[in-house]
Amino acid sequence: MSEPGTVEFRDVHKRFDQPVLAGVELSIGRGQSVSVVGHSGTGKSVLLKTTIGLITPDYGDVVVDGESVVRANRRTLARIRRKVGYVFQNAALFDSMSVFENVAQGLSDEEQRDLGYRALVTEVARALEHVNLEPQKVLSKLPSELSGGMRKRVGIARAIVGRPEILLYDEPVTGLDPVNGAVVHRLIAQLAAELGVTSIIVTHDIEGTLPISDRVAMLDHGRIRFDGTPDEFRTSDDPLVRAFLERDVPDSEVLEAL
Amino acid sequence: MHTDPEDRPGAGASIDPQLMRRPAQAPWPERRLASLGRTAARVLEHAGGMAMLLWRTLVYTFTGRIPLREVAAQVYWMGIGSIPIVLVTSALAGIVLSQQGGYQLTSNIPIEYLGSVVTSSMVLEMGPVLTAVVLIGRVGARITAELGTMRVSEQIDALYSLGRDPVRTLVAPRIIAGIISVPILVAMADFMGVMAGMTAAQWTLGLGRDSFFYGARIFWNDWDLFYSLFKALAFGFVIPLVASHMGLATRGGAEGVGRYTTSAVVTMTLAVLILDALFPPLLLG
Repeated sequence: MSEPGTVEFRDVHKRFDQPVLAGVELSIGRGQSVSVVGHSGTGKSVLLKTTIGLITPDYGDVVVDGESVVRANRRTLARIRRKVGYVFQNAALFDSMSVFENVAQGLSDEEQRDLGYRALVTEVARALEHVNLEPQKVLSKLPSELSGGMRKRVGIARAIVGRPEILLYDEPVTGLDPVNGAVVHRLIAQLAAELGVTSIIVTHDIEGTLPISDRVAMLDHGRIRFDGTPDEFRTSDDPLVRAFLERDVPDSEVLEAL
Repeated sequence: MHTDPEDRPGAGASIDPQLMRRPAQAPWPERRLASLGRTAARVLEHAGGMAMLLWRTLVYTFTGRIPLREVAAQVYWMGIGSIPIVLVTSALAGIVLSQQGGYQLTSNIPIEYLGSVVTSSMVLEMGPVLTAVVLIGRVGARITAELGTMRVSEQIDALYSLGRDPVRTLVAPRIIAGIISVPILVAMADFMGVMAGMTAAQWTLGLGRDSFFYGARIFWNDWDLFYSLFKALAFGFVIPLVASHMGLATRGGAEGVGRYTTSAVVTMTLAVLILDALFPPLLLG
């Protein structure tokens, strides 16, 4: 599989104090939106970080666009990373930089030089509009002046400004209220449709993510326990999937039950 | 009120005595050796990490890929921002040297020699070391805390994810700024210390300016100034290097930032004092 926008995890193992990933096998095709779910501590974020070499597997390989991330040298790794946009759990915006500077970091120095200042501002504004933020209102603000939802969206704008082929979301709605969470979910679906990117979404919020996913992969004890469509996930007999789904009851149902 | 342990909730449940027993430990020489081994491994790991930082900084420097705007910002903050505190501490050191020197020279040694005592002590030792200690607190601790916070809040990972190397954008500019700023600060500290020592000697011991500088010239060697600046160069390099390495190595949230910052301050102080001890046999021998 060497088409642009593809990701393959081949027998990925990673151990810290104890094994976290123990032979993950997962192939993700171009333009697919895959949710990776599982209980806390099952290695979802670790798996996501291996995709761009932030964490190196102890064994196995991660292949992005046909190129091995594990065997990549510094230059190749930088090239692979440019094809991938990563949205961090807490946005990970640079505190000392304005929103404009933060988003512009998504473009390499060469790209920024080639564009020139005016075109750079246009590119940054376009990315911010994509995430439903008004550029003139936020461009000069510091991250500390933004709400949690806005920070998340600026983080997404930074990830997409370089027109990546793959977008990785690490717990995109954690810490957001349900309204902002729904906005971010809609945004993920909208970006996948408009930009045609491959999306990997690591999440606990299965209810919000199922409608925007083509596939769901469930991690358990360091391996993929379930891999299928959202419908197959909902109707699965697997007791762990059932337990995961049943615990994830929407607030409305909880209120009704009360 | 006495309560029978048997009356406590859950007291009736039997507990496996095996669980209460502490796990068997290796004899103490083995434990001591293992602990020594772990410490040695940690020291080697840090030394290796700093060597890698240094190598990559050199590569970026000699390939001209350092963001100069960031270097200028760091020179401003490290250098210009540190001038007041460096001048105050060096002036106080000069005054103390002058007063204590005056106290010791009250017997048969001519008081003019005080000029030499103050100048040599300031230039050879107090200027560089005192400036370094001030910079460890003001600059080094801040670099470690800043990079450490960036590490635990995933901002360093974000830089990597954007195809940017933190060594190029964060570490190299700080090391270069240290190499530029510290020698200038030390030169200012040397000058300020000598001037303050001279003024104090004039006011309290009645030693005139001409006599002070006559005494200073008796044992003055031009090499002393280069020696002072070489020391400054080494300190200006080692403080941001250690501080940046410890910042990037930070783990464990806010508690980790505190722990690594403390550890960085201790390591920087030791590194400066060890370098200081190596200089006389190497350059004054």
